[in-house]
Amino acid sequence: MAEGRTGEGKTGATREAPVVLEMRGCTKTFGPVRANDDVSITLRRGEILGLLGENGAGKSTLMKILYGLYSPDSGSVFVDGEEAKIHDPKDAVARGIGMVHQHFTLIPPLTVAENIVLGAEPRKGATLNLARAVKDTEELSDHYGLRVDPRTRVADLSVGEQQRVEILKALYRDARILILDEPTAVLTPQETEDLFSVLQELVADGLSIILITHKLGELIGVADRITIIRDGKVVETVDASGTNEGELARLMVGRDVLLRVEKGASQVGGPRLAAENLIVRSGTGSKAVNGVSLEVRAGEILGVAGVDGNGQTELAEALAGVRPAEEGKVSLDGEDVTKLGANARQERGLAYVPEDRGTKGLVQDFTLYENNALKTYDEPPYSKWGWIFPRAMRRRAVEALRAYDVRPPDPDARAGSLSGGNQQKAILARELSGDPGVVIAAQPTRGVDVGAIEFIHRRLLEQRAQGKAILLISLELEEVRSLSDRIVVLYAGRIVGEVGPDATDEELGLLMAGREVEQTA
Amino acid sequence: MDEIFGAPGELLASTIRFATPLVLAALGGMFSERSGVVNIGLEGLMLISAFAGVVGASLSGNAFVGLGFALVAGLVFALIHALMCVTFEADQIISGTAINLLALGGTGFLMVVIFGSGGTSPRVEGFEELPIPLLSDIPVVGPALFSQSLLVYLMYLLVPITFFALFRTPFGLRLRATGEVPEAVDTAGVSVTRMRYYGVAMSGLLASLGGVYLSMGLLSAFTENMTNGRGFIALAALIFGRWNPIGAAGAALLFGFAQAVTIQAPQDLIPQEFLQMLPYVLTIVVLAGFGGRAIAPAAIGKPYRKE
Amino acid sequence: MNAGGALVFPLFAILISFLIGAVIVLATGNNPLAAYEALLRGAVGSPTAIGRTLLGATPLIFTGLAVAVAFRAGLFNIGGEGQLYIGAITAAWLGVSLGFLGPLGIVLVLLACVLTGFLWGAIPGFLKARFGAHEVITTIMLNYIGINLATYLALKPLRTEGLIPGTDTIDIAARIPFIGLGLGRANYGFFIALLAAVVAYLLLWRTRRGFQIRAVGLSPGAANYAGMGIGVNTVLALAIGGAFAAVGGGVEVLGVYGKMTVPFVTNLGFNGIGVALLGRNHPAGVILGALLFGGLASGAQEMQFATDVPLQLANVLLAVILLLVTATKLVELLLGKRARAFAGARLEKGLGR
Repeated sequence: MAEGRTGEGKTGATREAPVVLEMRGCTKTFGPVRANDDVSITLRRGEILGLLGENGAGKSTLMKILYGLYSPDSGSVFVDGEEAKIHDPKDAVARGIGMVHQHFTLIPPLTVAENIVLGAEPRKGATLNLARAVKDTEELSDHYGLRVDPRTRVADLSVGEQQRVEILKALYRDARILILDEPTAVLTPQETEDLFSVLQELVADGLSIILITHKLGELIGVADRITIIRDGKVVETVDASGTNEGELARLMVGRDVLLRVEKGASQVGGPRLAAENLIVRSGTGSKAVNGVSLEVRAGEILGVAGVDGNGQTELAEALAGVRPAEEGKVSLDGEDVTKLGANARQERGLAYVPEDRGTKGLVQDFTLYENNALKTYDEPPYSKWGWIFPRAMRRRAVEALRAYDVRPPDPDARAGSLSGGNQQKAILARELSGDPGVVIAAQPTRGVDVGAIEFIHRRLLEQRAQGKAILLISLELEEVRSLSDRIVVLYAGRIVGEVGPDATDEELGLLMAGREVEQTA
Repeated sequence: MDEIFGAPGELLASTIRFATPLVLAALGGMFSERSGVVNIGLEGLMLISAFAGVVGASLSGNAFVGLGFALVAGLVFALIHALMCVTFEADQIISGTAINLLALGGTGFLMVVIFGSGGTSPRVEGFEELPIPLLSDIPVVGPALFSQSLLVYLMYLLVPITFFALFRTPFGLRLRATGEVPEAVDTAGVSVTRMRYYGVAMSGLLASLGGVYLSMGLLSAFTENMTNGRGFIALAALIFGRWNPIGAAGAALLFGFAQAVTIQAPQDLIPQEFLQMLPYVLTIVVLAGFGGRAIAPAAIGKPYRKE
Repeated sequence: MNAGGALVFPLFAILISFLIGAVIVLATGNNPLAAYEALLRGAVGSPTAIGRTLLGATPLIFTGLAVAVAFRAGLFNIGGEGQLYIGAITAAWLGVSLGFLGPLGIVLVLLACVLTGFLWGAIPGFLKARFGAHEVITTIMLNYIGINLATYLALKPLRTEGLIPGTDTIDIAARIPFIGLGLGRANYGFFIALLAAVVAYLLLWRTRRGFQIRAVGLSPGAANYAGMGIGVNTVLALAIGGAFAAVGGGVEVLGVYGKMTVPFVTNLGFNGIGVALLGRNHPAGVILGALLFGGLASGAQEMQFATDVPLQLANVLLAVILLLVTATKLVELLLGKRARAFAGARLEKGLGR
């Protein structure tokens, strides 16, 4: 492991503080994949250690080892200088380690207090002392400024409040070391700020915190040191005060800048896909999209930027006809298609690459040829009079898989057996080989390897050059910026602004935080 | 009214008698399902215990030895279900169905091996009616409620005890949590496997009380397939009562009442087959009414795997 | 998934079940080898034995298909028992009134069974699609509703004079004929069952509807995104399953009993679940599973005759097979992870949403 370079830490005192946790040479493999390869980290008392890495770099695996959820193939853990055998979360809790998972492990129908004391319940004789649970919860939440009502059912809390409950759960068990796995992924900017100030109070109280994230920007303000992990290995540990985003990005991705694809000029034509005052409800009944109007013209890519969960999914689904619009209008090439389903819109030339390829884009247990015909199985040459012809499906699939470089190009392979990138290419092969007029691409490169990202980007630009209208929805700002001709920002179900691809981080950041600014485009 | 329902006291008494096995099995099912393990095997658990009770009583001439046999049989069969569903990650619905068929086939087989022929076993010492002094003297209600067998009084006690155990003890909190979000229980340092074994084991013990009441409370002998769908009615009561002990007991009483009416009402007024459908129809109505909202424990039916 | 792998779980379950059976036979003071030898003889040792096996397998093919088709749509059809009764009472009713038509009557009666079974099976499908009521519970409840309904009809409006309570006997000309060839009471209903399996195969793998049903079953999300209706396919899969089970009931009445008596056959629906799972929910597998179940029941009679082992042992063996056939982790523990991987995808279908 590369030790942190010299340089004054943000809180100088922590450099001399004792080491409370050390993981030494941890290795964990899943089948052929080395999720962690000889990883070592140290954590000092009263510091916030950032654990930075791309999705799939191995950060979560490492923390699950620490928390006893995975057992490492080799390597050891030391707590307060003493080797700790951690076989399950119970051992971790006994050692004063607490964890806030990315996906909360809360029980919605139970109250906050019940959730917090679960497994370490205060008793009165043989019975559960609920009054005590409520009182303890109140005390903890007052002490650390983690405001939440102990008597409320967790199901009725906001995401930010639920996260507070998770932190309280760890504190209730006297955690001295707190691990937070991607805590900001689900938070609004304001909630993120609140969280960070709570974390500062916790370390001031003597706790030590490991903060896992793939967002490099937010670490610089809050962490003392940052350990960067790439491909399951520790790349380097740096002092937060002596680094900058550029350096962190280089360390994290192992290349200087995010790849920029060459974007040629293109002939922009009339509108092909349009939405007017669209209102769409989410699965839980809230207005996820609240009055969106947009227009995608032939030969352009319209990017939709925004923090996750601001209505992107519902917008895409409503445009594709998978989710009904409550109000407003969707039109395709001038035709009102609001009342039409996904099938009818697809027949009118709408291609849709959904954000969740695993459960929405592909039937994992279907063969590739069946997946390739997933939307056209009921049309000639695949079908006639209610019958289907698997052989015809197979023949067409062979061509499509070759054209889109899907590996292996075996039409009989199970879709689920392919890597993420190849699954995504198989979806593109299906969606784009029908020569659609309009393409909706939601998170088209999420969790795929670099090679596939480049391939997918090039294909989207190719469609643009052919005069297709493309709506690109992505959480990756860089991706939106490098591909789009225009960018709209979605916040709380509304479009809060439109900018050009040359907009600065600051401009976009303000919009994504929901601050409406003067339209610059 | 009297010609339809008979004397009110007799109707109440027979409602209690019909409801008792249903209440006991439904309470058992609740422990299992609250821990996240579907228990379609209640029918089989009752049947094997009804049989084991009679074997025990016949060997010893003592009803309490029979009860002991029944509890062991119910526990063993429940543990087979737990072993399959929790440890071997078999499908819970399939395992429950298999438990039913195993109990049916097993009792049929053992009837021949132990008693020499199928059909009905020899008569054994059962649990006689045991009037409670003073209480059983209350007019109408007294004889109906307090001149019953010991197992009925046990049922009266078990309803509040179950409620208390579920909602007022750490065990109950953990059990309910296991059926909702097992990951949360695991990360809180409580073993999901152990909680589920406890839940399923409780279902075996309680269902076996229900089974014993059939063969040694209502009757004093075992007949093949004597549960005759009661385990499924108990399951219906559990759902109808929305996985709550009080609700389930109430539903079981309602279904017991329907059966009591079936026996007492003149045949040509309402065909008994239609009254027998009632629990099942009501359950479907309730499921259709609440189906959209999640009323079952959220993690029910899913094996829990760590990695 | 390869064919060899598909056999791992079934063969494993059968093997363990027979080992447990051997221990039980030993406990009753008999020789397991002698018992199993008699069992085998009673299943396939003579034309009569084979005929008995085919006779027992016939209804199980239908109820197995009822489970398998629904399972392909991701649904558990526990309602085979009630669906079979609905078909049986339909056949008993119409068989008497259409008896004068002779063989044409058979066709009409079975078509009527398809219709009543389809409608009956559609009920849980509709309840699921419209209200989200879980099909496992509703099909269980509908079993008892169906059985009580059929029993009521057989005992009240359709009751005839006679020692055994039940419906009138159907004219012999409108009954499914025996195969002959020394096969005893085995009738052409077995071939109707084989035809049903072929229909199920073509439906699932060669039609648009089957493509949709399989897509919905494997991934409701992706099917929905591809514009397929989840609700429609849910209703249809359960309804088609109901139709298969109901024809099975019709074939029992037209081929075996000639009427519906009370009590009628039991557990054919529940055993259909075991048949379908042994057959990995594939029509060809269902036929094999049904033959095994039919053979066990048939052989058990010979076993009881030749040794002192009660024939109910067959039911115990069937139950143990069903108990073990989805125990993926047990296979993994005893045979290792590679055998488990070779066996293919796990069977997983909870009650959760």
